[in-house]
Amino acid sequence: MTAKALVITGYGLNSEEETAKGFEYAGFDASIRHINDLAENPKELNDVQAISVPGGFSYGDDTGSGNAMAQKMRLTIGDALKEFVARDTLTIGICNGCQVVVNLGLAPACDSQYGVRQVAVTHNASARYQCRWVDLGVQETNSPWLAGVKSLHVPVAHGEGRFMMDDDTLKVLQDNKQVALRYTKDGTPANGEFPYNPNGSTDDIAGITDETGRVLVLMPHPERGMFTWQRDDYAALKDAARRNGQTLPDESDGLRLFQNAAEYFGINAMKKAS
Amino acid sequence: MVQRIEVFTVSEDGRAKTLEAQFKKSGKNLESVRVVDVYTIEEGIQDQGRLNACLQSFTNPVTQKAFVLEDGQAPANDYIETVGDFDWALEIGFLPGVTDNIGHTATELTALTLGRDKTLYSSQVILLKGSLSEEDVKEVAAELHNPLIQRAANKNKDQFLADGGMDAVVPRVVLDNKGSAVDEVNLNVSDEDLITIGREGIENADGSRRGPLGMSLLYMQAVQEHYKKEGRNPTDVELETLAQTWSEHCKHTIFASPIDEVKSGLYKHYIKRATSEIREARGSDDFCISVFSDNAGGIIFDDNWMITDKVETHNSPSALDPFGGAITGIVGVNRDCLGFGQGAKPALNRYGFCLADPRKDLEYYRGKNKMNPTLSPDTIMKGVVAGVEAGGNQSGIPTPQGFLYFDDRYVGKPLVFAGTVGVIPREINGKPAHEKSAQPGDRIIMVGGKVGRDGIHGATFSSVALDEGSPATAVQIGDPITQKKLSDAIIKDIRDLGLYSAVTDNGAGGLASSVGEMAEGSGGFELALDQVPLKYPGMQPWEIWISESQERMTMAVPPENVDKIIELFAKRGSEAWDIGEFTDSGRAVLTWHGDNVMDMSMAFLHDGVPETPLSTTFTRGGEEEPDLPEPNDYAEELYAMMGRLNICSKEFVSAQYDHNVQGSAVLGPIQGKGRICAEATVSRPVLESKAGAVLSQGLAPRYSDIDTREMAMAALDSAVRHAIAAGGDIDHLALLDNICWCSSDEPERLGQLKRAMEAIYDMAVHYRTPFISGKDSMFNDFKGYDADNNPVTISVPPTLLISGIGVIDNVAKAVSLDTKQAGDLVYLLGETKDELGASEYYDRHGKLGSNVPETDTALNYKLYQALSKANKQQLCASAMAVGFGGLGITLAKKSVASGLGMDIQVESDLRLDKLLFSESQGRVVVTIAPQDKDAFETAMGDYPHVAQIGTVTDAFSLKINNVEADLKKLEEAYKETLKDY
Repeated sequence: MTAKALVITGYGLNSEEETAKGFEYAGFDASIRHINDLAENPKELNDVQAISVPGGFSYGDDTGSGNAMAQKMRLTIGDALKEFVARDTLTIGICNGCQVVVNLGLAPACDSQYGVRQVAVTHNASARYQCRWVDLGVQETNSPWLAGVKSLHVPVAHGEGRFMMDDDTLKVLQDNKQVALRYTKDGTPANGEFPYNPNGSTDDIAGITDETGRVLVLMPHPERGMFTWQRDDYAALKDAARRNGQTLPDESDGLRLFQNAAEYFGINAMKKAS
Repeated sequence: MVQRIEVFTVSEDGRAKTLEAQFKKSGKNLESVRVVDVYTIEEGIQDQGRLNACLQSFTNPVTQKAFVLEDGQAPANDYIETVGDFDWALEIGFLPGVTDNIGHTATELTALTLGRDKTLYSSQVILLKGSLSEEDVKEVAAELHNPLIQRAANKNKDQFLADGGMDAVVPRVVLDNKGSAVDEVNLNVSDEDLITIGREGIENADGSRRGPLGMSLLYMQAVQEHYKKEGRNPTDVELETLAQTWSEHCKHTIFASPIDEVKSGLYKHYIKRATSEIREARGSDDFCISVFSDNAGGIIFDDNWMITDKVETHNSPSALDPFGGAITGIVGVNRDCLGFGQGAKPALNRYGFCLADPRKDLEYYRGKNKMNPTLSPDTIMKGVVAGVEAGGNQSGIPTPQGFLYFDDRYVGKPLVFAGTVGVIPREINGKPAHEKSAQPGDRIIMVGGKVGRDGIHGATFSSVALDEGSPATAVQIGDPITQKKLSDAIIKDIRDLGLYSAVTDNGAGGLASSVGEMAEGSGGFELALDQVPLKYPGMQPWEIWISESQERMTMAVPPENVDKIIELFAKRGSEAWDIGEFTDSGRAVLTWHGDNVMDMSMAFLHDGVPETPLSTTFTRGGEEEPDLPEPNDYAEELYAMMGRLNICSKEFVSAQYDHNVQGSAVLGPIQGKGRICAEATVSRPVLESKAGAVLSQGLAPRYSDIDTREMAMAALDSAVRHAIAAGGDIDHLALLDNICWCSSDEPERLGQLKRAMEAIYDMAVHYRTPFISGKDSMFNDFKGYDADNNPVTISVPPTLLISGIGVIDNVAKAVSLDTKQAGDLVYLLGETKDELGASEYYDRHGKLGSNVPETDTALNYKLYQALSKANKQQLCASAMAVGFGGLGITLAKKSVASGLGMDIQVESDLRLDKLLFSESQGRVVVTIAPQDKDAFETAMGDYPHVAQIGTVTDAFSLKINNVEADLKKLEEAYKETLKDY
């Protein structure tokens, strides 16, 4: 027995394999599902505990990143998705997936208004794509995805990662503790400073949740920073470990999110029981 | 009625702010810029509910506001309010027939939302506020659009308000064809007339010509002769097909022709022979699987996987439209990967740009009297960088490895290299995955995009003016998302079902090339040109056949699988069409509504091309060795060298290219806390395998000014050296050759070429590093006029790019370039000689010199073997090959990368500037933890040039003999040069 995770792909989403790998490594029964297949059988979601809309470039970011794919999902699996997040399930939107989920209005969904767009994730202040590693501080949050995690060292890779919203919405997000992740510089807030905050995001926001914390959307890529060998400082860590006669741990920060999801559904306990 | 949907961003817009800064910088008196996204629908959507359903997918209500304008009707008041305060409106849209990816997505979204087809076209309105003259606005427009592919229109505020906004423009293609017809071409004509047909093209009924066939008299006579025997004249389709198939671009005739005493031609005699000799010598250690026979080369990766590689050039199109040329280049070479064997998954991209100095205003014209100017080096650089950014990023393929090289002779012909590494299981369904062959009876299935006039006679298009209704046929823009759907469908859903016999890409030459090549497997084909789906009506049969419309693959599919495969593609949002059959008739047959319009023997098509024997001469170049005064401040000299274009940071490019997607990055393009650009990268393209792919590149174009032999050897040695320094293994390293030459009809240029090929044959055989794939581009010359109307020819320096692809069994063996700990020992491996000819240092002082670096193959091979051994034992804490700028620059880069200084004492007979900046090949700087000293020196074996030259320190300075340079200043100099790009 285990829990099922589904990673949605198609039309330019492209990080499905490594995202599925994260779920699988954490103990999920993980599958990759093309949006057109899911559209034919949206009921499949009834049988699933966690979904991810992964990173990528759906529809080439045309008409605003995530917007076109959100329309496609709204028209094909929109109701099924709303039912899915209403259940005791977990949802993660990463990078382009974050943009899609936000455009679908499944996050932040303040006042439980699922389906209403409340924030925008738009062009970087530099108007330029940025691929680099960042440091994230985990804020006070009820999100199961981030339980026990204080900080994350993971990469970003996006041209439109700037969270924007009106001041009232920002205040609601802050008050409700729905701002889950912020960009930091040496452990302190990045305060909009490039490259620590790589996109000029309002309030250094890198990720937000719905009110339940079960829907997490974030621009950085935990699935590209799951293993030590993927890290930008791998060569230095490896060298130091070798000198000190230590073995470098395989696992790195990004994996924690998938392991937390597994923990939430008691996958290890389930596995032990069966 | 035509409808315009205009989307205004009402919050802060990063795009607008960036444009604002750009125009202010270029001196415009500008207060603010706003960007409006526009979608034009020829037949508008009248139902408000349906319209709103569409609008939500074009707009983000949190930051944007959408308006719908009906052509000929006054806009609503709130539109005028939102337009607000501005002085000029400038609209940029595509010309008819140009790939409009945003329009394409909008069209697809509308179909999805409404359930019926409507074509949408995208454009952008830029609202400018400031004290600007119309002249200023035109200059802004010139910066923002390329008239070859785009239109620009402007209105001042009064005009805009009087007209109720910008004019609605529908860029629909209208072809003025008087019925599609096939013409017979009379070849019973004089040699003069044959020459005219070959040079200017087939004559139309109205006396105009269709554009060059690029066929010499010799070729035309061979065709004439052949059809005399057949007892008829060729059709236009047949002649166009022969021109395409026999072109330099497709047949590589210069490399195939007898040259001096080398009767089998340069390619067979040097490149192919090197590989077959290496494979034979390696015996059971041979790691090649598929070389030269497919769209890419394939070697062993591990027990289960094969890794493939191919590097293409896309030079001429990039001179005309840098963005379109580069994106088509990268997306095109992705298809070479998809078309390898049964289909390899694109896993890594690489790139390379040879460009003129972007900071210089270099003014040249293609026509007399300042007509048809070349694009500025700045525009070309920004365009090609953006093209690979869009193509690579949108395709979800990491792009870790690449370079920018600068020389002003690339001004009229930039070189744009694009490469793709793929992975594919060694066996699929129990069969070797690299094998494929079209079988007689297989259906010809075209997959992907429809066919337009893209790329027809592209090379000659530059001087033709475009009018409103004519499609821009020469310049193509890749559509990465259409291709991504196609790629995923093939690799992730269809390939392993075993439904097709063969697959190949549709690139240069279009169907004529892909079907023609695949049919060599079966022995013939019959294809119905009227069954090929078109982007717009009215195309001629010959145009359909040779069109280079992008994002297409061709498959050979057994008839019983056709319905299934078309359905599977449809499920993934890709289209596939059955357009003919592979046969064993020995004939290449095309039909048009039932009539034969081509019926040619396969043998003549592929082997009928006449041989043209070539002869060569060679003269060594170079000047006298200069007698430069010794620098009085070496630290300043180091700072200046660090800032040179060919040495400084190219981070602005690397950071725009996603190098982490697919989660495979191990050593990326930027290394160390000090962020130094690496010359080699390491990736783990198959997550299940610990094995790593080491990618490197090497080139040394300026060395050609003295001797192309040394240019070629330096290119090859650099590619190998960089790969080994990054942890590679000389025993599992393959090479790719990209030869970009100039004026290849001149014996002297051919002599330079032959010399280069001889050299790389010798080296590859000695290093036992086989060539697995290559590509040549022989005429990189610009012919035009300078600003004073003087005719000029600017030829690129003969440029050989060698790309290395190595395999290591465990990515833990990767070695980064940054030093690791104070107290570590610094070793210089290799000998520094008085070799500054064509070096960065001489160039800085305006000299060429004569002593170009000479590569000692036998000695270097010993080093690379020894270092490979050290790599296996993980003995190097850091390593970096010595490249442009020499030892001084390598030490500086390694120190800046870690923020740790060095204390270096080098003994040499050379004066210090020569010691620091000589570009002698075969050198690597490594740092070794003190406890590994003995093991490292043992691993170096009998390689003689191992010198411990100092130690890593925790001071923030680089000390070399009595010189002391500040790391901060080195870093600033390194990062300053291109920081504003």
